[in-house]
Amino acid sequence: MELVVALGLIVFKVALLIAILLLLPLPLTWLERKIAGHIQQRMGPMRVGWHGLLQPVADGVKLLTKEDHIPAEADRFLFKLAPILALAPPFVVFVAVPFGESVSVLGTEITLYVSNMNVALLFVFAVIGIEVYGVIFGGWAANSKYAVLGSLRTCAQMISYEIPMGFAVIGVVMLAQSMSLLEIVRAQANVWNIVYQPVGFFVFFVAGLAQAQRIPFDLAEAEGDLGAGFHTEYSGIRFAFFMVSEYAIMLLTSVLAVILFFGGWNGVLVPLPPILWFLLKVAFFVYVFIWFRFTFPRYRYDQLMAIGWKVLLPLSMANIIITGVAFL
Amino acid sequence: MSRALDRIGTWIGWAFFADLANGLALTFGYMFSKSVTMQYPDKEKWLPYSRYRGHHFLKRDEEGEIKCVACELCARICPCYCIEVIPYEDEKGNRRPAKFEIDMARCLFCGLCEDACPADAIALGQQYEFSSFSSHDLVIGRDDLLSKPGKAMTGGGVVAARLNTEQDVLVETSEPQGYNWWRNIRRT
Ligand code: SF4
Ligand code: SF4
Repeated sequence: MELVVALGLIVFKVALLIAILLLLPLPLTWLERKIAGHIQQRMGPMRVGWHGLLQPVADGVKLLTKEDHIPAEADRFLFKLAPILALAPPFVVFVAVPFGESVSVLGTEITLYVSNMNVALLFVFAVIGIEVYGVIFGGWAANSKYAVLGSLRTCAQMISYEIPMGFAVIGVVMLAQSMSLLEIVRAQANVWNIVYQPVGFFVFFVAGLAQAQRIPFDLAEAEGDLGAGFHTEYSGIRFAFFMVSEYAIMLLTSVLAVILFFGGWNGVLVPLPPILWFLLKVAFFVYVFIWFRFTFPRYRYDQLMAIGWKVLLPLSMANIIITGVAFL
Repeated sequence: MSRALDRIGTWIGWAFFADLANGLALTFGYMFSKSVTMQYPDKEKWLPYSRYRGHHFLKRDEEGEIKCVACELCARICPCYCIEVIPYEDEKGNRRPAKFEIDMARCLFCGLCEDACPADAIALGQQYEFSSFSSHDLVIGRDDLLSKPGKAMTGGGVVAARLNTEQDVLVETSEPQGYNWWRNIRRT
């Protein structure tokens, strides 16, 4: 009986997580377009529903009913595989991400995470790395020069941000003495990591921007110079997969930034429910992502590589050394 | 000395991303400023200036007689050859247009016909909503031209309006001049 309940709970949590992640791009696209509009003194979508609230639904229906086109010269297998490869990892990663301690519903303790791995951080970085293959395969398989250029840029981008990003979180791991995200948050109950690790946060955030492929580092898409980059040839539902994946990663980067550096669900001053604190912080970072997008121009990809190797990497190394020395 | 200080200041600013922060502050400010877009056609509509060159109209004189003397100067000067005038002699012995057609699909709204007319009979008015699904409907005859609205009397502005899918955008207010659209433009 207990086993059945536990299993059912896990299945329920996973289903809930998938549903939320699949539906979240709807409000997020609306928000993004609204924020974009107001930054540019426009109003954004206004005509479908109240202040355009139903616009993402209309767009979604449009995407689903569009022709699913595969270019004649494309590598059909890879072309079909790529969107799935891009979509699955961000979903899988959320299995390891905690959203809070446990709450008790009807007398049973329900934990607000699917699993508490002791190597959660490693798992997150390992799995999220796979997502890049979706982008690379997608651009390669489409057999179009813009798409291939997008893929090549992604490769260059990946090797420049993954390493500083990995190094940037080592300081956090040293402070918490654990790789479990739950432990990391618990270790920040009194003081958030951002106080000890401002440099680490900076490196992590910049690398996170690159990972989420958002402006100023959206080189793979670069609608200004590459058409739509790696997904130039994608349409309909497969294109929607890439979009959902992009939003999921944006969300993941925000969640990780909150968990690793901003105390997770630990609040300050105002006693709000922990989950609310968590959501507020994540929302703030999502907003920052969108805000950045409509403020900054895009970096060239050699500039991104220079930033990654010449600035972020030394900074993250120095951060590790200083953290280590301070520990001694 | 001060140049060195300036340079140091620039470097410090650069190290703490003062330039990026500036940009972010600017966009943040813009986010909470008023939008400049007109809610056309759902809620608002633009009233053109009197100098606006919209749909043509033909004028009548005080007796209600059509002013045009069918001299065909407008047809001659038109760079798109979109005016066709066929004259006839009416009961009083005056030369008048029997047929006066403008192909709005080809017109480029240069206003040369208005300038060339010796009888001050044709002008470009304020109407700008005459899109159509067929270019045949855009060939406008003499009687239609006589009934088109004339020059705008107001100085341009945005007024409340409502979209009517059967006809077109209806202006709802009686005030002759709406708010000045330029008031929300930031000039910094
Ligand atoms: S406005 Fe210019 S193009 Fe149009 S009818 Fe007059 S002369 Fe021709
Ligand atoms: S509108 Fe003016 S220019 Fe044209 S035919 Fe008539 S009188 Fe002549």
